[in-house]
Formats: sequence, C-alpha cells, structure tokens
Amino acid sequence: MEKREVLFRIKRFNPKKDEKPYYREYRLTVPKGMTVLEALQQIKDTQDPTLAFRAFCRSAICGSCAVKVNGFPKLACKTQVFNELDKFGTDTLTLEPLDNMEVIRDLIVDWDRPLKRMEEMKPYLVPDPEVVPRTLDEESRVYPNELKKFDSFTDCILCTSCFSSCTATQLDENYGGPFQLARVYRFAVDPRDALKAERSKIGYAFDMWNCVRCNRCADVCPKHVSPVDGIMKLRGLSIEVGLKDNPGARHVMAFYKSLLESGMLNEVLLPLRTKGIKGVLENLPVGIKMILKGKAHSPVMKPIAEHETLIKVMKAAMEVE
Amino acid sequence: MGRYAFYPGCAAKGASKELYESTVAVAEKLGIELVELPQFSCCGAGVLEEVKEAVDLAVNARNLAYAEKEGLDIVTVCSTCLLVLRKTKYLLDNDEDLKREVNEILSEAGLEYRGTVDVKHFHWVLLEEFGEEGLREKVVRPLSNLKVYPYYGCHTVRPQSVLGFEPSENPQSLEKIIRALGAEPVSGERRLECCGFHAFWPAPKMSMKLTGLNLLDAKKSGASCITTPCPLCHMNLDANQSRALKEVRESFKMPVLHVPQLVGLALGIEPKKLGLHRNIVPVNC
Repeated sequence: MEKREVLFRIKRFNPKKDEKPYYREYRLTVPKGMTVLEALQQIKDTQDPTLAFRAFCRSAICGSCAVKVNGFPKLACKTQVFNELDKFGTDTLTLEPLDNMEVIRDLIVDWDRPLKRMEEMKPYLVPDPEVVPRTLDEESRVYPNELKKFDSFTDCILCTSCFSSCTATQLDENYGGPFQLARVYRFAVDPRDALKAERSKIGYAFDMWNCVRCNRCADVCPKHVSPVDGIMKLRGLSIEVGLKDNPGARHVMAFYKSLLESGMLNEVLLPLRTKGIKGVLENLPVGIKMILKGKAHSPVMKPIAEHETLIKVMKAAMEVE
Repeated sequence: MGRYAFYPGCAAKGASKELYESTVAVAEKLGIELVELPQFSCCGAGVLEEVKEAVDLAVNARNLAYAEKEGLDIVTVCSTCLLVLRKTKYLLDNDEDLKREVNEILSEAGLEYRGTVDVKHFHWVLLEEFGEEGLREKVVRPLSNLKVYPYYGCHTVRPQSVLGFEPSENPQSLEKIIRALGAEPVSGERRLECCGFHAFWPAPKMSMKLTGLNLLDAKKSGASCITTPCPLCHMNLDANQSRALKEVRESFKMPVLHVPQLVGLALGIEPKKLGLHRNIVPVNC
C-alpha cells in the first residue's frame, strides 16, 4: 500500500499553563486512506499522550471532530490525509482549532457561544394547533413538496464548521450565525409550525441582513447544507411579513424595480432607493469621482431587447405557489 | 478560437465601464469572439432570490434560454453573475420537477430552458483556450518585476459544488495568469476572503473594514497592485479604497486592476483602450 511521510504541524494551547498558543511538529508514516482523525489518534497513542482533540462517532454524524486542516474546517473523521496533501501540493498538514470560538485545549473549542446563540433563536417547533393533532392517535402529515423546502437544513449536525468560518460572525457580535439562522428558516417553512414566516423577525433581530454572502458556510459544510441559502430565503420572508423599510429590503426592491423598468440595474438610483437621501450623501464623494471618470450611466435607462418577455416571466413567477 | 455569448453584467455596463472596454479589447486581440446578446437582463445579483426564489430562477433561466437559442456558452466578467447563472443551471439540471415548473413560467414568454449551455468566467476561458504556456506566447510586453496580489474574492470559487472550475480552498487560476504575463503572484493570506460588497448597504462599516483588511494584506505582502476577476470586489477595493482604509486606520494607494486590464497591458494593448484612466486609484504599476 502507498505510504507517505507526513509532517503534522499541530497548534497547541493549554490556557491553564501556556502563555500563548504554539505549534508542535510530529512526523508520521501515513498509509493511503488514513483519515486526519486516525492520524491524530496515532500521534496521541505513539508520540504525545498530552495532545487533546474531540472525537466520538467516527462516521461524520456526531459533528464533534471538526478542526482546521490547512486553514479550512473539516470533520477529521471524514477527511483523508492524502487528499489534503494533494490539494495543497505539500507533505505538511497544519491542524488548528476552529475559529470564532475560545480554545479549551489544543484542538478543542468551546461550543457555548454558538449554541447559546442558537438557543436564543427558538430552534424548536412551536406546534400549530390547526395543523398538529392534539393526540398521538392522528398523524401530523408533511407532504414531499413541503419537506423539500427545509429537508436539507435538517441535516445540520452542529459541528460549527460554518460558524467558525463565517465572515459576518468574525466582525459582528450580534450576528446570529449561519447554522443558527438556517435553523430559523427551517422552522419558518415547516407547515406544522405556528410562528411560520413571523420567525424571520428573529433573523432580523440577529442581523441576518449583515450576511456578506461569501458562501463559506455552503462550502465548508460536511453535510452539504447551504446555510446562506436559508438566510437569503429568510430575508425574503421578512419582506413578506412587512419588514420593508430597511436598507437590505429596500435594496432588494430596488433590483426588482430596475428589472421591471429596463431589465438592467439602475446603479445611479440605487443609493437613493436603498437608503434615501442618507444613501446619496454617504456615497457622494465616491459618486462624484465616478462621474468624473465617466463611470456613471444616465438615470433613465433604455430597456433591454425583448424586455416584455422578462416582464411576463417575472409576473408569472410572482404568481406561482 | 471560441465563440461565446457575452454576459457583461450591470457593473461592466455601468460603473465598471473599464472592465467592459478591457474585456472587449483583450478578446479582440486574442481572437475570442464575444457576441453580446441584447436580450440579456440583470441576473439580480442573488438579491432576487430574496424577492422570491421562483423569480430569481425564472429571470436567469430566461437568460440561459437566450444563449441556448444561439447555441453559445455564456462568458461573463462578473463573479456574482457567474455564481447566480451557474446556480440556476445547477438547480434546474439536477431537479426535473423544478425545471418543469420554471419552464411553465418561461412558456408564458414563449421560451424554454433545456440545459444545453455552460456558463464560464472570462479568465477561465483564457486558461481553457490557451493554457498558461499558450498565454505566455501571446505576451509582447512581459510585466517583469511586477508583484501582483491575486484577489479571488468569493463568487468564482465558492461554493465549489456550483462553481467547480478549481478547488475552492487552493485555486491557482489567477496565479497561472499572472505568471503567464511575466509578473510574480504574491502569496496573499486574504486572497480568498470576502470584500464585504454584498453587505455594503445594511452594514457599510463591516463591508469597508473587510475591504480595508484585504488592502492592508496586499500592502504587507509587497504587492505593487491587486488584480481581481470581480467588478464588485473591484468597486470596494478601488472606488471605495480611501474609505476602506480609514476603517483600518491606514492611508496608502494600492492600484487595483480588473484581470482583463492586467492581461491587456501584457498583450501590448494601449492603456486607454483598457480604460485604465477610469480606475479611481491611479494605475502606475
């Protein structure tokens, strides 16, 4: 079997005795197919019993072994060493604890912050008495087309990979977080739920409009959940329930209006439409520079060719269930 | 050389006119035929999904349907347009029921989506058509001694399931292009970080801070300029540069070039045809 000599650089930190984190290097002969978790266990068994990491099911189901491998969060039990070496063209793997959380020790992080945040956001079904029967004698049916709306979001295993790599979470203390907001959406479209679209107000209170749509959450999720998609749909629900007078919602409607008017985005009117006079004033210095460089189009835009097909399509799409 | 349906996107048709100019100039020089379809509409930049998913899908299936009528793959120069169009294609090609529903909507306008065309970014096409070596052979004015920061941003690489041109964790397309032009790519720690553009309206401070951090990383890495395949990243990095640097308490000038502007310089195209005079931060690299 193919084997490779691999250098593991592992970030170590014991807050009880270390002043600051440091890297320790371990060499290991790795056979093809060995996972990062198996490598960690072997290092612990044969080289350094003080190395701390979390692991439980070894089947990519419990979500406990997520660590950063060469900078990206991965389930250690699901990630093969060779694949990562090949991706980066290297013989070195750097293993670090996940970001955006406190380190308890070495590769183990404290999940309290992301999980408490989720708890604050009503992450459970509030039964709708008109839909959910009072006794267990009757079933509460969910049809396939209803399930399709939230099915993928129920695959989340709370590994916190998305939370650790979330851009908005890094910079906004109040931001709800990707898996947490996706969970709000998951219940908001569950036909058995009593709160339904009203749940989007929870998302609003937790800064869902600050999601930068970097798509990191969708990219790192080991269960192929795409939290960003849930967040965007939750924003849509918030507009439906009447949270319309904010820059996020107004920006959305500015696009919609532009498409109906001409088919192309009216960039010149965007600041006014999104943030009113304040938007114009805030962006005036940049706006003037752009006008001087010949980068502004006329505020009155000529419609695209066959614009009527766009209008028909948009109207028909608005009418479907 | 290939013939493509050119989808410039709203930015290149408006505030990033220089991207349109440089793309057309480079394509012409290299013999790539770009056919701009006048029926193409704005992709909605993903925010249409927030009006209603069906609207987002129908608008972009319409765009794809027009390219299908011409039998041409779409080439775009905007990363967000790329993601939105590819995502529509990905969703419709993998879900027959959804495709049928969207086609019912399109039939109102006498259109149909079949799934016969691909959607590519212009810089992917450069590598597909010429490869690193082939592109190097076209260079008449090598950008020797120029250190370039390859700023990918988000929507040409993530999510990999939808984009798929290269590994999202270690893409190399920009590095290959920079090397082919005779310049040196610096290793940027934040080359895959977000610029915050899509949260600019609700959270301008956060957006500007992200851009500021990216600019700062470029400065620290010794780059003389940044290149990016996305006009939206470009708007934050270039037009909003002084505001972004204020957020990180810095002040310097870092030229930011659209990828076709950088390529065009190495191909010997005159700067005016590349719209370099339109960049807000003067390009003197």
